[in-house]
Amino acid sequence: MNRRTFLKQGTALSGGLVLSGCLGRLGFETQSAWRDPPLVEDRPDAVYYPAIIEGMGMYGTTTAGDLGFALMHSFPHRFWNLTGSRKTKVIVQSDDSVHLMASVWDTETETILPVDVSVEISNSDGRVSSTNLWPMISPNMGFHYGDNIALPGEGKYDVTLQVGPLQTARTSPFDGRFTEGQAATMQFTFDTAETYNLEIRRLGEKAGIRGTVDLMEMEMIPEPVVPTKSELPGRLLHEGKSGDATILVALVDGDHRFSDSDGPFLIVSPRTPYNRVMLPRMALSATLNRGGDAIAQGTLQASLDPDLGSFYGMGLDELETDDTVRITVETPPQLARHDGYETAFLDMEPIEFTVE
Amino acid sequence: MTDERGVPRREFLKSAVAIGGAAAFSACLGREEVDVPTGPDDLSSYPQRQHAWNEVLPRDDHGNVIAPSHRLLLYLNYRRDGQPNEDDRDQVETALRGIEHAYERSGIGLLLTVSYSPAYFDRFDESLSEGVDLPDPEALAPFEDPEFDTPDAVVHLASNTAQVVLGAEEALKGNKSTLNGVDQPDVALTDVFSLTDRRTGFIGDGLPAKNAGDAESVPADKVPDDAPLFMGFKSGFKKNQASEDRVTIQSGPFADGTTQHISKLQLNLNQWYNQDDRWQREAKMFCPYHAENDVIEGAGDNLGNSSKIDDCKPTDETAREMGVVGHSQKSARARDDEDSPLILRRDFDSTDGGTASLHFLALQRRITDFVDTREAMNGTDVTEQSAVGQRNNNGILQYIRSERRGNFLVPPRSLRALPPAQPARDAQEVTHESS
Repeated sequence: MNRRTFLKQGTALSGGLVLSGCLGRLGFETQSAWRDPPLVEDRPDAVYYPAIIEGMGMYGTTTAGDLGFALMHSFPHRFWNLTGSRKTKVIVQSDDSVHLMASVWDTETETILPVDVSVEISNSDGRVSSTNLWPMISPNMGFHYGDNIALPGEGKYDVTLQVGPLQTARTSPFDGRFTEGQAATMQFTFDTAETYNLEIRRLGEKAGIRGTVDLMEMEMIPEPVVPTKSELPGRLLHEGKSGDATILVALVDGDHRFSDSDGPFLIVSPRTPYNRVMLPRMALSATLNRGGDAIAQGTLQASLDPDLGSFYGMGLDELETDDTVRITVETPPQLARHDGYETAFLDMEPIEFTVE
Repeated sequence: MTDERGVPRREFLKSAVAIGGAAAFSACLGREEVDVPTGPDDLSSYPQRQHAWNEVLPRDDHGNVIAPSHRLLLYLNYRRDGQPNEDDRDQVETALRGIEHAYERSGIGLLLTVSYSPAYFDRFDESLSEGVDLPDPEALAPFEDPEFDTPDAVVHLASNTAQVVLGAEEALKGNKSTLNGVDQPDVALTDVFSLTDRRTGFIGDGLPAKNAGDAESVPADKVPDDAPLFMGFKSGFKKNQASEDRVTIQSGPFADGTTQHISKLQLNLNQWYNQDDRWQREAKMFCPYHAENDVIEGAGDNLGNSSKIDDCKPTDETAREMGVVGHSQKSARARDDEDSPLILRRDFDSTDGGTASLHFLALQRRITDFVDTREAMNGTDVTEQSAVGQRNNNGILQYIRSERRGNFLVPPRSLRALPPAQPARDAQEVTHESS
């Protein structure tokens, strides 16, 4: 019996027993891919090609108010949970059925929102699961929310996706927006034949090499990326690297939308290498030095802008040629990591440059 | 020891309160080898404060009050429309006195409170007495969407003896002619009220691990054997609890009463135990300092009479430097001018509905005190200035979902039977001195 035949028969039998047995019975290939996929040896402290890339399927999208919601699925997978710089390897549990993922965006500007998503799943028997998804980053999905979920079996489920208000600051085009929670309801059908047959791409000799795969093309969801260097407003001051993240620093002067006060505004836009994936959930600060004296020091406020996406910024009184700017990463991006990102953006050195 | 169905005695007791009913009660009688003293014939010496439990509860070596282990909340609707009448008041008081005569007021005996919701007080033309802060329940975080409990009344039964809780419940339902050898009145609480919900639970060393099998999604063998709560740590340290004085209403006709907030919080123990490690659990429950310095042994009994939050850095500092703030660290910010916490926790775990949850029952002088404490726990101020998420690395918010919330007034004892919204000044002296 091949795997597909088994799955079909399993579906016909239905029920939780068949499902939970799947993990143990489907054979070495699939079981090893889910439960403890190969982990590359000698991983660099940087973004790298993992051994495998998990396929992803779309359950659907919907809107509630001016927010778009997408719900996606894959087979359960390993990820790494992060608190500060400390990570915990989260392995697939025997009763995990599906890796459920969600993205949320502003439908007016197509801006991905870093707002924590909770899900409540029910079927005709009532509620079966509820969880607060983790903010995550993966090679083919970029920034999203997700968790491994146990379901009682195959079939139709109702799911409510709920978000709170945006916790970061926002620039003037977003004044008064994302200040309240929002909930969206969707339906999905959990079908092991669909989810467990999603592609597992093996990267072979590439595994462990610095680099990453392209983001999946998802027509219905805005890409979780930040602008290219040339798209940044103002004057580019510096392109730095820290913990393998690319950190662009720009200065806008004159009339601008970034703060209420006059004076130049410092924009810091961290992103993943290769794909420009947004990196929210960092704590950054900046120190300005002139002639050896600190002339300004402060927090780079996490913020959201329709053009810049997630960025960090700070209003300045002035910035002159030969001033030095030091940007310190107090907390690296507090995102759970899929393989390929779990060694990057952890030990993040300050970047320092002199204004030209 | 096992019974004829092969259920070990201890296994049976843990689930008996959850199951309830006459059969569970009589089965309990044979299993708990406890001789619970009866209550006095004359109850006039009982304190006006229904919530004055601490004086009769045992304490641990550090002076912390040991919370009664078996709990039951009876959610009740008054059967009559409009304002209550004196006959119904008499019946309620008589039924309550029946169980008080049967069991002494103590840890192994029975502790109880009767409380009333804002919806109950809406029955009256006049508004609730000034000086009582009892708003309708509301969502207490921008990211939660709880349902609101609006029964007329909630009776809270508590004991270290499972059969006492069950026996009291059966008697209140009119199912016992004698209880603990004491004749019960002909009237039942359920003649006056209909039962709309029944919430059960437990707290105490080892009980969560023993009950873990009754709830789905509790990871096997992960809840520590000696932990008093599902999340593995002790709570209710003396210095982190408001005193009964602090939570007591000081003046007006409801003086000696208190307010009560009861929320039902669903716990995600899979994430807590399978996706976080011990360091993260310590940092998130207490503070990063405790995790870094191995301050907590096991469930935290070694902490003594406080959660030692003074050793933690301020929340904004750890949030920026460590990317995480602890639950106790945040909550401790809600204190009054005399550095006292604002709320007195009397919460307990539950497997109601086959789900691991926490019935978070808290007493405070004003509901506003609870709202302030919860606001401190939300840590919204922290998230705006750091990488700490709305829930992620933000205390234990990742692991709890507020499902239900309700606010209640626990009136003084003399007003515990269907109180009016504006009691006469001398109400406390007139009722039920006989019996």
